[in-house]
Amino acid sequence: MEENLLEVRNISVTFKSRYGVLKALDNLSLNVKKGEILGLVGESGAGKSMTGAAILGLIDPPGRLSSGEIYFKGKSISNAPEAVRGHEISMIFQDPLMSLNPLRKIGDQLVETILTHMNISKSEAIKRAKNGLKEVGIDPSRLNSYPHTFSGGMRQRVVIALALAPEPSLIIADEPTTALDVSVQAQILDLLKKLCKDRGTSIILVTHDMGVIAETTDRVGVLYAGRLAEIGDTRDVLTDPKHPYTRGLVDSTPRIDSNSFKKSLFQIPGSMPKLDAMPSGCAFHPRCEFATEICRKKIPQILLDRSACWLLNDGEL
Amino acid sequence: MSFVQATDLTRTFDLSDPFIVRAISRTPKRILTAVDKVSFSIEKGTTYALVGESGSGKSTIAKMAVGLLKPTDGSLLVDGMNLNDPKLAKEETLALRRRIQMVFQSPYASLNPRWKVKDILCEPIKAFKLIENPKAQIDRVHELLEQVGLASSDANKFPHEFSGGQRQRISIARALSSEPEIIVCDEPTSALDVSVQAQVLNLLKSLQKEYALTYLFITHDLAVVSTMANKIGVLNQGKLVEEQTPEVLFSEPKNSYTKMLLNAAPKINF
Repeated sequence: MEENLLEVRNISVTFKSRYGVLKALDNLSLNVKKGEILGLVGESGAGKSMTGAAILGLIDPPGRLSSGEIYFKGKSISNAPEAVRGHEISMIFQDPLMSLNPLRKIGDQLVETILTHMNISKSEAIKRAKNGLKEVGIDPSRLNSYPHTFSGGMRQRVVIALALAPEPSLIIADEPTTALDVSVQAQILDLLKKLCKDRGTSIILVTHDMGVIAETTDRVGVLYAGRLAEIGDTRDVLTDPKHPYTRGLVDSTPRIDSNSFKKSLFQIPGSMPKLDAMPSGCAFHPRCEFATEICRKKIPQILLDRSACWLLNDGEL
Repeated sequence: MSFVQATDLTRTFDLSDPFIVRAISRTPKRILTAVDKVSFSIEKGTTYALVGESGSGKSTIAKMAVGLLKPTDGSLLVDGMNLNDPKLAKEETLALRRRIQMVFQSPYASLNPRWKVKDILCEPIKAFKLIENPKAQIDRVHELLEQVGLASSDANKFPHEFSGGQRQRISIARALSSEPEIIVCDEPTSALDVSVQAQVLNLLKSLQKEYALTYLFITHDLAVVSTMANKIGVLNQGKLVEEQTPEVLFSEPKNSYTKMLLNAAPKINF
């Protein structure tokens, strides 16, 4: 478990625009260990999806990976992500309807994926495709069906089968259950967890839902305005947040328990800064009730391997 | 009699093929019952939440409540009056409509991108002829914006200049502009981030206290419901399967579908 499968070191993603160079990701570092589920959580615009896209080299121009290195199994992939994309690292997107070709049978799409990434015969590939469908709980005879004949949850199962087909060692799941109902969401997350535990596959789970993070992930990284605010074991981060933003996120999430009925929710004042109007120092300081002089001046680094907050320096919070 | 009273509310949709196609292929009519004999009542100044998954009929009920859809059967009475009552005079129907407003799910789709905020907020005022004087109308717009936590200078901006949470505040201000007594909220926070969701929910709550508003709150998120509702109705495939106060519903759910929903909802507690 200790070996790092993926190491992301100080990556920045920049966009050139008429307002100057905008930093969508700023000096972000994280590791994914073998077999673990790492959650990435944050609000819209925090850079969660951008992190996934950066790892796979899927950033659309004018954006680009301007600095930093990404290592996969010890080798740098920042310059040639094509070598691992789809095969070693695969991706599950948010909308299952958009990620399947509506004009082709799901069997053809599965077989094509397998043949592209594995050196096996076609009949072998069909056999694998059938097995793949069986594993995600779909009758293998549906190989000849078109995507529109499946429900949303079934389609997401097909997409999971597609992602698992080339036997990757890392799956990046970008909001895989956001478009689904809660009951289906629970099924899909359980399935994903079980299949990956069986195979020792690691997952980076991108989501904005703190509940999904709490129930699914081993470790979690909290992103704010393109920077990592806090990272650590999910339980520690959610029960004892070290960054005021994490604490705000946890407290503003509505809960199902008897203490919360008809009570007001905690609210973080203001909203996330736009990329062209980033505050100096810590990006969170204008919304932070504990902000001090140093927060306005200097960008905090991750302290104690946990949180990018100057307050940790004084041992407070 | 309660302030809002729904009795055996039913709505069906005809999904059949055209007559000729049916005659040739000899297929029967296909009728979808979206809402099936749903009855509930809401007391004045309280929040009634309808919870269910996609396809449970919750938005259909919301549309019937504001008069965007006609019920096939049953009735929905507000203060003893029925929006679809043919005996009601036109002026009376209009007066009743003024008292029921709606906040929609997507703040991106529900505001006209070509209208300034002041025009958006003025339209209900003009439509119901609440204030005739243009100067007084603008004053009212400024007052509304401040009530929902925006600046009065925002009146001259277009919707695209605002974030999702701010837009939802504009939607709420628009709903308030006709001085309604009931607001139907159809998933008002499901397109928003958690921290913004908390801001909007708290705003809705404080407005309810101030103006004694009655909310019909439609959502799929049980956690949101637990902080908002006085009473919860759980919908499954068009039928009301359980109705309870949040205290009872969350501690001892009776219906198996409610239990399943509660189990499936992702929880943050360890």
